[in-house]
Amino acid sequence: MLKNMFKKTYTKIDTKYHTNTIPADLWRKCNKCGKPIYIEDVYENHNICPKCGGYFRISAYRRINMIADADSFEEWDCEMEISNPLQFPGYEKKILAAREKTNLNEAIVTGRVQIGGYPAVLGVCDARFLMSSMGHNVGEKITRAVERATKEKLPVILFACSGGARMQEGMISLMQMAKTSAALKRHHEAGQLFVSVLTDPTTGGVTASFAMLGDIILAEPGALIGFAGPRVIEQTIGQKLPEGFQTAEFLLEHGFIDKIVKREEMKKILTNILKLHNGRTEYAYDAKCSQRVTSVSQLKGTRQMKARIRSAWDSVQLSRKTDRLAASDYIGALFDDFIEFHGDRYFKDDGAIIGGIASFRGIPVTVIGQEKGKTTKDNIFRNFGMPSPDGYRKALRLMKQAEAFNRPIICLIDTPGAFCGIEAEERGQGEAIARNLFEMSSLKVPILSIVIGEGGSGGALAMAVANEVWMMENAIYSILSPEGFASILWKDSKKAGEAAKVMKITASELKELGVIDRVIPEEEPANRDTLPMITEKLKQSMTEFFETWFDRDAEDIVNNRYDRFRKF
Amino acid sequence: MNEAGEDMFQKILVANRGEIAVRIIRACREMGIKTVAVYSEADKEALHTMLADEAICIGPAASSESYLDMERILSACVTMKADAIHPGFGFLSENARFAELCEKCGIRFIGPSAEIIHKMGNKSEARKTMMEAGVPVIPGSKNPVFTIEEGLKTAKEVGFPVMIKASSGGGGKGMRISESEEDFEINFQNAQMESIKGFSDNTMYIERFIERPRHIEFQILADRHGNVVHLGERDCSIQRRHQKVLEEAPSIAISSELRARMGETAVRAAKAVGYENAGTIEFLLDQSGNFYFMEMNTRIQVEHPVTEAVTDIDLIKEQIRIAAGEELSVKQEEINIVGHAIECRINAEDPEKNFRPCPGTITELHLPGGRGIRVDTAVYNNYRIPANYDSMILKLIVHDKDRASAIAKMRSALGELVIEGVKTNLDFQYEIINNPDFEAGDIDTDFISKYFTK
Repeated sequence: MLKNMFKKTYTKIDTKYHTNTIPADLWRKCNKCGKPIYIEDVYENHNICPKCGGYFRISAYRRINMIADADSFEEWDCEMEISNPLQFPGYEKKILAAREKTNLNEAIVTGRVQIGGYPAVLGVCDARFLMSSMGHNVGEKITRAVERATKEKLPVILFACSGGARMQEGMISLMQMAKTSAALKRHHEAGQLFVSVLTDPTTGGVTASFAMLGDIILAEPGALIGFAGPRVIEQTIGQKLPEGFQTAEFLLEHGFIDKIVKREEMKKILTNILKLHNGRTEYAYDAKCSQRVTSVSQLKGTRQMKARIRSAWDSVQLSRKTDRLAASDYIGALFDDFIEFHGDRYFKDDGAIIGGIASFRGIPVTVIGQEKGKTTKDNIFRNFGMPSPDGYRKALRLMKQAEAFNRPIICLIDTPGAFCGIEAEERGQGEAIARNLFEMSSLKVPILSIVIGEGGSGGALAMAVANEVWMMENAIYSILSPEGFASILWKDSKKAGEAAKVMKITASELKELGVIDRVIPEEEPANRDTLPMITEKLKQSMTEFFETWFDRDAEDIVNNRYDRFRKF
Repeated sequence: MNEAGEDMFQKILVANRGEIAVRIIRACREMGIKTVAVYSEADKEALHTMLADEAICIGPAASSESYLDMERILSACVTMKADAIHPGFGFLSENARFAELCEKCGIRFIGPSAEIIHKMGNKSEARKTMMEAGVPVIPGSKNPVFTIEEGLKTAKEVGFPVMIKASSGGGGKGMRISESEEDFEINFQNAQMESIKGFSDNTMYIERFIERPRHIEFQILADRHGNVVHLGERDCSIQRRHQKVLEEAPSIAISSELRARMGETAVRAAKAVGYENAGTIEFLLDQSGNFYFMEMNTRIQVEHPVTEAVTDIDLIKEQIRIAAGEELSVKQEEINIVGHAIECRINAEDPEKNFRPCPGTITELHLPGGRGIRVDTAVYNNYRIPANYDSMILKLIVHDKDRASAIAKMRSALGELVIEGVKTNLDFQYEIINNPDFEAGDIDTDFISKYFTK
């Protein structure tokens, strides 16, 4: 419109034009989004692209700086002679070049460290050194570090990152897989913790050995993790691989990773894990807490003990209410430092079961709950609280983990029943439930199961082979839904109300039958507003549970549980 | 060549758009400096694009990919061989990293150093710096408070009434005023509860609540030779949701004695941080004439023309000269405030629909003119206002011998201004100008919420 209509005003003749000199090392190109990024921004942002959020690989020492307490790292085995078992031509030259380029002796740095004040043995792979492939020296450094950790009773944390075995060392390289795994087995049997952190890329022989053996396996977002590399798979099967295949997220969904941790949160999470594996901290009966309960009940006045005689059908309906407190509500209110762990390590991570570690008044515990979900989307993700075999296997895995680290187990039960579907049968729903009953009966740590909503049959029992089973006042626990019961016995599911009456499924009835041990009173309505009051009461009861079970020996705990179920 | 042995810039890249870009290009044209405009795909036909000597497209309409993209703007600067960048206001003007990058690439950033931008951009650090320089700040808790007891203790130290503020709060959420000890507990609880519910954060701050304050800001200029002057104040109390709507200079609430005192404080503040270039120090002024530092803006301000009108100093040209290493063209004693100036911001927005931005094509445009009337705008007939940017399209500035004459002039000029095709806040401005309390000068920062809440 007005283009080229304005007259120019400058009169000076351009004799000298400013020539800008841009320093070469100010920017780099992001290899994920391709945009130019300011190097200092990347550094300040934990080596994550500030524009696309893509993760850059980082050197071993930078990683150590990110997670270790200042000046706490003491490096082990920094001098290792070059190992060239096959006398492979040119290999030593290659190693020397890598050493020169990286200032590292080998592809992994190991040593002793403090993270958030907790001591640990740390190993960090560095991809700049021959793609951090595992030859003799890498395997040896890991094995020595693990052995020393076992001896000194320290947890081990390994940041894995590798292209796999080191080809130039042939079969000796393959043997490192067995060697490192065997050392970790001994570490495990000594009751010591191993946390594996998978970073981009973790493939080949490293995935098939130490990287996948963590008691807890963490991963960085977007990391490539797999046994066979994607290109090899594509060439072999002659198909294009789906988007997101072999990423950390893919593995999480398929049950092989406990948690994806952002780089900026890694130190916090590791500190928390170490803290929860460092024994009891401050267990003491909190007098202040009980006082608070009294004042709360005083506040509520006389309403508390109002007539609570209601029909069994009322309880059924209350236990199914959509705003009823869910396992996640209880977990948030009862415990501190909860870290959720995912996956069954076989096939999938089941949304219907939430589990992980946390602390109850300073005592590390494993807590596992059945979760129905609060919104429609959440309901679908959680499958309405109906666990699949993968869910029960996840629960069992976490219970075994609790046993290994001598943590009491708390199960929160709220399920209409185990998931009934084709996939569930394909993967052995019956076997999964049976396996839980079988294994739980002999776990050497105290187990407390609390039915917080619906306790639907075998799906509930698979998490209720406990030393004590409690129920919330308006929860139900039954062989079958009243609707199902009515339709089987009377061919009319509409008679569910009558069925509920005769089935004896309410907390008070089951207490009389001896199926459960304790009824926890609820404020009404039991929802998020009354949560603090309900959980205060629950906390008191749980404190009593811990006092009863704390110092009993394993045999006593197992026998008690055996007898508890033997009597029926 | 100037006294410092540096040459005036040959070519300046204007890293902005709209009326401020046009304003800067005009200053450069008057100074005989070549200009480079950068523009987004939505601004191909914008006035700044066409008025500049050269123009270069730096990306799509979204500002994050054009006017906010440092790498693209720096590349443009290198390609077009410009030796300085004027950032205007908004966009990258107060981005310390951008200033730092310019410096590293040998491009002069027309504004203060990255270090000062960073320091003044951090509220708590700015407050600390000012306290150290003896500039009064709003009394308040130095450290966050978490409990009623801590809060009450601080409130007593600070003196009632107090403002209880959530650290993560915003838009009035997690904010309460407590008049006295009696209503402190309930207000503190409510504010904290809101913050916990809204932001999952129980960190609170307590500060003195200033009743019916005026927003008074002082324009300062500082060169690299240690000269600092102030150019008097602007009264920006007429605000809607913390957005300035109308500004004037001088303020009716400020005596020449108070002006001297506040101006001297502003100069001291600027010296304390080693400031260079144009800047603004914002104060809250209470009903009894006490003033408190709020923040420092390290850039040219939207409302700079009112200061230009009453001081007869071209602030943009001063900015460019300062950046080129020259000394200030004026001394403090040479600065006189003459007459009274008012600026109305005209925005393409719909007052009927809660001032929602209202982009579109201008079908009819008539601009007022005459003695003492200035229009800064980048719109023209048939111009299409893109939806991607700020809705301010025009600034109408009047200057006359006193406040009453200036108001009369503004009333006439607003009446003459015609913008068709898009909704604007023109009538809203007209109502403000005709408000008896405004005419009487009885205004504070609550003026608009008091008279114009529906």
